[in-house]
Amino acid sequence: MGYGAIWLVIGLPLLGFLVQALLGKFVIDRLGAKRGKWTMGLLAVAPIAIAFAIGAMLTANLASLPADQRHFVLTLYIWITLQSLSIPFEVVIDPLSLTMVLIITGIGALIHLYATGYMAEDKDYPRFFCYLNLFIACMLVLVLGNNLALLFIGWEGVGLCSYLLIGFWYKDLANAKAANKAFIVNRIGDWGLTLGMFMLVCVLAGASGSLTNGGDNRWLSYDVILPNAIALLKDNPGIATAIALLIFVGACGKSAQFPLYLWLPDAMAGPTPVSALIHAATMVTAGVFLLNRLHVLFELSPVASAIVACVGAFTALFAALVAFGQTDIKKVLAYSTVSQLGFMFIACGAGGYWAGMFHVTTHAFFKALLFLGSGAVIYAMAHNQDLRNYGNLKKYLPITCWTMFIGFLAIAGIPGLSGFFSKEAILGHALAGTFAEWDGIRLGYVAGWVGLFVAALTAMYMTRMTWLTFFGGKEQWRSIPAAAHDHHDDHSHHAQHAEHEGHGPDVHGFFYTEEEITRNRDMEDHGHHHELDASHTPKEVPPSMWIPLVALAVLSLGGGFLLYNGGLFEKWLYPTGLALLPPGQVQAHPHDIPLVGLSIGAALLGLLAGYAVYRKGLPGKEGWDMAKWNPFRREALVQFGYDHAMVEAADEGGGALARGLWRFDSGVIDGIVNAVGGLTKGLGDLFRMLQTGYVRAYALLMLLGGIGLLGWFLYAMNRVGAGGHG
Amino acid sequence: MTPNGYPAPPSIDWLMTMPALLVAGVGIVALMVEMFWPRRSNSAIIFLSLIGLAVAGYFTAIQFGMPDGETFARMIVRDRLGLVLQLLLIGIAFISILFSEGYLREKRIPFGEFYPLLLWATSGGMVMIATKSLLIQFIGLEILSIALYVMAGMSRNEAKSEESAIKYFLLGAFASSFFLYGIAFVYGATGGLHLDLIAEAWKADDPSMRNLLLFGFGLILIGLSFKSAFVPFHQWTPDVYQGAPTNVTAFMAAGSKVAAIGALFRVLEASGVMQEFWMPALFWIAIFTMTLGNLVACTQRDVKRTLGYSSIANAGYLLVALLAHFKSPDKVGLQATIFYLVAYSLMTLGAFAVVSLAAKGGKEGTRFHDLAGLYRRAPVAAGLLVVFVASLIGIPPTAGFFGKYFIFLDALQADLAPLAIVLAVNSAISIYYYLGIVRAAFVAEDSPVRPAMSGPVTFGNSLATAICAVGVLGISFVTAPVFEFLAGR
Repeated sequence: MGYGAIWLVIGLPLLGFLVQALLGKFVIDRLGAKRGKWTMGLLAVAPIAIAFAIGAMLTANLASLPADQRHFVLTLYIWITLQSLSIPFEVVIDPLSLTMVLIITGIGALIHLYATGYMAEDKDYPRFFCYLNLFIACMLVLVLGNNLALLFIGWEGVGLCSYLLIGFWYKDLANAKAANKAFIVNRIGDWGLTLGMFMLVCVLAGASGSLTNGGDNRWLSYDVILPNAIALLKDNPGIATAIALLIFVGACGKSAQFPLYLWLPDAMAGPTPVSALIHAATMVTAGVFLLNRLHVLFELSPVASAIVACVGAFTALFAALVAFGQTDIKKVLAYSTVSQLGFMFIACGAGGYWAGMFHVTTHAFFKALLFLGSGAVIYAMAHNQDLRNYGNLKKYLPITCWTMFIGFLAIAGIPGLSGFFSKEAILGHALAGTFAEWDGIRLGYVAGWVGLFVAALTAMYMTRMTWLTFFGGKEQWRSIPAAAHDHHDDHSHHAQHAEHEGHGPDVHGFFYTEEEITRNRDMEDHGHHHELDASHTPKEVPPSMWIPLVALAVLSLGGGFLLYNGGLFEKWLYPTGLALLPPGQVQAHPHDIPLVGLSIGAALLGLLAGYAVYRKGLPGKEGWDMAKWNPFRREALVQFGYDHAMVEAADEGGGALARGLWRFDSGVIDGIVNAVGGLTKGLGDLFRMLQTGYVRAYALLMLLGGIGLLGWFLYAMNRVGAGGHG
Repeated sequence: MTPNGYPAPPSIDWLMTMPALLVAGVGIVALMVEMFWPRRSNSAIIFLSLIGLAVAGYFTAIQFGMPDGETFARMIVRDRLGLVLQLLLIGIAFISILFSEGYLREKRIPFGEFYPLLLWATSGGMVMIATKSLLIQFIGLEILSIALYVMAGMSRNEAKSEESAIKYFLLGAFASSFFLYGIAFVYGATGGLHLDLIAEAWKADDPSMRNLLLFGFGLILIGLSFKSAFVPFHQWTPDVYQGAPTNVTAFMAAGSKVAAIGALFRVLEASGVMQEFWMPALFWIAIFTMTLGNLVACTQRDVKRTLGYSSIANAGYLLVALLAHFKSPDKVGLQATIFYLVAYSLMTLGAFAVVSLAAKGGKEGTRFHDLAGLYRRAPVAAGLLVVFVASLIGIPPTAGFFGKYFIFLDALQADLAPLAIVLAVNSAISIYYYLGIVRAAFVAEDSPVRPAMSGPVTFGNSLATAICAVGVLGISFVTAPVFEFLAGR
C-alpha cells in the first residue's frame, strides 16, 4: 500500500462526519429509531476502524524500512502563498505521527463502538457521532500535518469538537458553562502557541538566506524548522527559551497542566465516551505530542525543559491530592488524568521524550478503559455518578468490575502491567538525567522524586475509587439520604436546572419561548428513566459496551510489556537518539538509586494504605454528611480553592477591568467619537439649510455655481495667458 | 457625387443604432397596446417591454468584438464603453419594469403609459451614450429628461409627486439651456457639432477661439453636472427623488446617472486638451460632492431622501474614478468607473425595490419609522436590503466594496491622493446613515397608533431584488474576468 493512503485515513472520518451531519436525521426518520440508530452507529464506527486498518498497514510498511528512511512528506496542494511565506497542505509520515494515528483511530474505534451502546437512548444520536467523527478527523490533521499551521487547524478543530461535546447536553446551563470554560481557558494556551509560532517564523524568515532546505519559504514546516533551529538558536539560548516556553504554554492549555488545568475536570460534563476519547486518551495528549514533535527546541533550552519538568511534577502532585476529595467517579478519573499528564511532562522536561510518548500510549489504554468502565457503572446505576452511592457492584457488573480492575492495577503501577513500564521509564529519566537544570539546580531530579511520591498517592486514590465502587460489601444506594440526588450524566432535568440557575438564557426567552421550554420539558420527561433508588438492581452493560472494555483490558495488561521489551518503543520513535543531547545527559536508568524497588514499593504502599482504609466500603467520615469530613478532604474537594480563586479573579478582575475600560471608553473615546459625529451632523445641518425647498433658491445656487466655474476658467485662462501654449 | 449633383447618401450601419431604435419602437408599440385596450393589458405591455429590452440587449451584445466606428454622418458611435453602458441601461430598465407592476398597482397608479415612457427614457439615455455629436447628445438628454419629468409626476393625487415633477422640469430646463448654450459656443468656435473638433480647434491656437471653446465647454459641463448631480448643481436630487414614485426614483438614480456619466466621459475625453483648466475645478467639485452628499444624508429621516443624497455622494465617487483615468490615462483605465457604475446601479435598484414594498393601498410611507418591522413582514426582502446596504457601505465581499476599492487604488495611482483620502473618509461617514436604513427595517414595530404599511411581495419584486443581490454578491467573485472584459482584452 502506498503512503498516499494516508489521505484516506484523514478523509474517512471527515466523510463520516458529513454522512452523520447530512444524513443522520433523515436515516433515523426513515428507518425508525432502532434500525436507524444501528445504521448510523455502524456508519460512525466503520470509517474509524478502516482508518485504523490503513494506519496499521502503513505502520508495518514504515517499520520495514531502515530507520533513517522512515520519513515521508506528502503534499496535497499549496494552501497559502504569500510573498515570503508558503504553507502547503502537507502531511508527514514518520514513527511519531503514525504512533499517534494508531492511538487515535484504534482507541477511537473502540470508543465509537462503546458509544453506540452508551448513547443508544439519546435522541441526538447522529449529532453526537457527527462531532465525534469530526474530532477524529481534526485530531488526525493535528498529528499528521507537516507544519505548524496545519497543527493549529487540528488544534483548534479538536478544541471546537471538545467544546461541542462537553456542551452536548447544552440545555443544562452547567454543561454549557463547562463548555465555555474549556473553550476560554484554551484560548490562553492558544495565545502562547501562536506567539511561539510567529517567533519561529520571524527567526527563520529573518535568516532566510543562510538556511538549508528553506528555499520555498515554508517557514512553518517541520522539515524546515527542525534542521535549521539548531544552527540558528544554538547561540541564542534566550530566544530558544522564549519560543519553547510559549509553545509550552500552548501545550499546558491543551494538556491541562497547572495553572491551566481547571477546564478539564469541568469537561466531565460531557458524555462519558467523550471523556474517555477526548479528555483522556487523545486530545489532552496533544501537548505531549507537540513537545515530541518540536523536541529540538526544548533540547536547546535546559531552562525551558526544567520548567516543563517542574510544572509537570507540581501538576501531578496537586491533581493527585485533589483526587482524594472527589466523590464523583468521573471527577476522580479526571484528576487522575491531569496527574498522569503531569508525569508525561516530567518525562519531556527530563529529555525522555520517548518515555512521555510511551506513557501517552499506555495511558490511552488504561485511562480509556477506566473511563469506559466508569461509564458502564454510570449506565448501570441510572446515571448516578456519586461514589458514595456505589459499593459491592462486582456482584452485578462482573465484566466491568474485572476489566476495570486491570485498568486500576495498570495505573497503580503494579509490575507487569502497562502503566508500570511507562512510569518506570519516566521516573528513570527524571532521576538519572542531568539535563533539566536551572541555575545549577537539578530540577528534573527533584521532579523525579515528586513523581515517585505521586505514584504512591495514585495507587492509593485509585484503590479508594475501586473499592468504593466494586467492593466493600455495602450496597450504598440502598440507603441514599434524600438530599443526595445530583451529579447526573444525563439530560432528564435540564429545563429545571436552567430555572434553578435563575439566569439561564432560556429564562429571558432568548433562545426559547416559554411554550417551547414547557414543550421541551414535557418531551424529555416522557423519555425519562427512573431515578436511582433503594430498589435499583444494576445490570451488566450490553456487548457493544463490554467488548471495548475487554479489548482495552488486554492492551492495558500486555501492551506495556510488548512495547517496552527490548527498547522497542524507544528505538521506533528515536532510533538514532536525540538531535542534540548526548546519551550521558539523558539516560533511562539511575545508577545510584534502586528505582525498580522503590517504585514497586510505592505502588504497594499506596495499594495497602488504600485497602486498609476502604476495604469495608465507604468510611463514615467520607459519607454524605460533609461536616464529618476531615479538613484536608474538604479542601481537596474544592481544589484547595484554586478554581474558585481563578474564576473569581477572572470574573471580578475582568469585570473591574472591563468597567474601567468602559469608563475610559464612554468618557474619552465616546467623547471624541461623539464630537466627530456632532461635527459631522452640524455640518450636515448647515448644508441642509441650503436645501430650502424653493426652486428659485436651487436655480440661484446653480447659477452661482456656474458663475464660479466659468469664473475659474476665465481666471485660469488669463493666468496662463489666453494665447499661450496651454 | 450622384448624377443629379447631390452628395451621395452616407452608408449607414443600422446595427449600431438598432438597440436604441428598438427600445424606442417597442415603447411606441406598447403605447398602442395601451391605446387600444386601455387599463386592461398591463401585463401584455410589460411582457412586450421585457421582450423588447431583451432583443435590444441581444443586438447590443452581438456588437462586442465588431470594429469601433461611426455612422449616420458621425452621429452614432460604436465602441466598447458605449456598448457596455447601453447594455447596463437596458438592464436597469429591465429590472425597474420587473418591480414596477406591483408597486404601481399598490400605489393606485397603474397607468400603462408608464412603460412606454420608461422605454423612451432608456432610449434617450442610450442615445446620449452612443454618440460623439453634441447635438445628438442633447437630443438624447431631452428624450431622457422629458420622459422622466412626466414619470416623476405620475402619482397625480400626491402633491409631492406634482412638486417633484415641476421642480425637476424647471431646473432641468434651466440646466438644458446651459447645455444648449454651450453647444452653440462650441459650434461657433469649431464650426461643427462633433466632439473631435474641439481638440482640433484648440490646437489651432487662436486665443479668441480658445476663450470661446472653454466658455462653451464650461456651459456644457454645467448641464451635465446637473444631470449627474454634482455639487452645487445637485439640489433638485433629494426633492425629486422623494416626491417621484419609488420605481421612477430607482430608474432615475441608476439609469439617469449612467447616461449622464457616459456623456460626461465623452465630453471630457474630447476636451482633454483643456485638462489643465477643468481638472482643478472638477477636483474640488468631486470633494464637495462626496462630502456634502454624505454629510447631509446623515441628517435625513426619509429613506428615499437619504438614498437621494447617497446618489449625490456616489456621483462624487464616480467623478473621482473619471478624474483618475483622465489624469493618467496610461496607468489607469476606465474599468473602475464602469465597474462602479454597474455595482452602483445594482445596489441602488435593489434598495429601492425593497423600499417600494412600503406602498400599500394607494399610500406609501418612506420615512424610517415606516420601515419598522419590515423584517417580520418580508424577511427575505429585509435580508436582501442588508446585502444592498452592505454593498453601498462597501463591506466585502460585495460589489460596492470592490468598486470603491478599485476607485481608491486608481486615485492613488493617478497621484490624486487627496481624493482617495476624502473618498475613504466619506465611506466611513456613510456607514452611519446606511446602517440607519437597516436598523429601521429591523426594529420591531413600536407604535401601534401608526401601523407601518407594506404591500405584498410580488413575484416581479422578488425577481428584481434577487437579480440585484446575485449581481452584487456574484460580481465580486469575478472581478478579474470582468475587468479584462471591460478593458477589451
